[in-house]
Amino acid sequence: MSSHRGVVSLRGPQPTGSYTHAHVQGRMVWVTAQAGRDPGNGELVPGGMEGQLSRAIDNLEAILEDCDSSLDRVITTQIMYTDPADADTIDAVCATRFRPPLPVRTTWGVKFLAAEPGREVVRVQIDCVAETR
Amino acid sequence: MSSDPTIVTKEAPEPRGPYVHARQHGGLVYVTAQIGRDPKTGDFVVGGFEAEFQQAIDNLEAILKAAGSSLAHVVKAQIEFVDERDLDAMNRIYGERFHDPLPARTSFGVAFLWKGAQVQIDCIAALDG
Repeated sequence: MSSHRGVVSLRGPQPTGSYTHAHVQGRMVWVTAQAGRDPGNGELVPGGMEGQLSRAIDNLEAILEDCDSSLDRVITTQIMYTDPADADTIDAVCATRFRPPLPVRTTWGVKFLAAEPGREVVRVQIDCVAETR
Repeated sequence: MSSDPTIVTKEAPEPRGPYVHARQHGGLVYVTAQIGRDPKTGDFVVGGFEAEFQQAIDNLEAILKAAGSSLAHVVKAQIEFVDERDLDAMNRIYGERFHDPLPARTSFGVAFLWKGAQVQIDCIAALDG
């Protein structure tokens, strides 16, 4: 296995552009931002912020596992979201998924996230950098 | 993972969610985005953008120190701010706090930040020595 490779997992929603799910370099893995999409059909899951963020973290977790890493090896996360009222929900969902040693985090509000205009509203996306096993 | 790679210090505002102030990995320290909250009270400092940005950098500095690094060791900084009219003040204050060799930097305007913060800054820095 090369120490420098792109990874596309069958367990994450398939990339819709010129990017991979993740890129592994040495013992680090950079994961593409994940939205709350079902890996099977690519559709946004229901359940508002809670549903979308839970699914997005599921996708992140599946991609990390396929890169020989895991959620508890995440070093940094970035979370972008569209509604300031969702801030507390983000913390609540993340608290159920991330365990010590916890990652560092940067979050900010955006005007919009990649979606099909008029058909769906993507409320959140999350990316990460992690170490591999 | 032999020793605990995480850093949380009383000299910066307590993390308000499931994350830590900083993490060491591979000779680098990664720092959570800091906003203009007073470490003692946890409240936003008064004085608008400039006061918030100064406090955010103070918090970053305190965390870097606790992690065995400093502002002088920052490799990359990232700044998000809400109002484009604060650009000049951001650049001025940043120039007062960061010196040669200057880090790489990405800054951009955002729709909003947590609980009405005007600005935040995170960084990746080298560990001292």
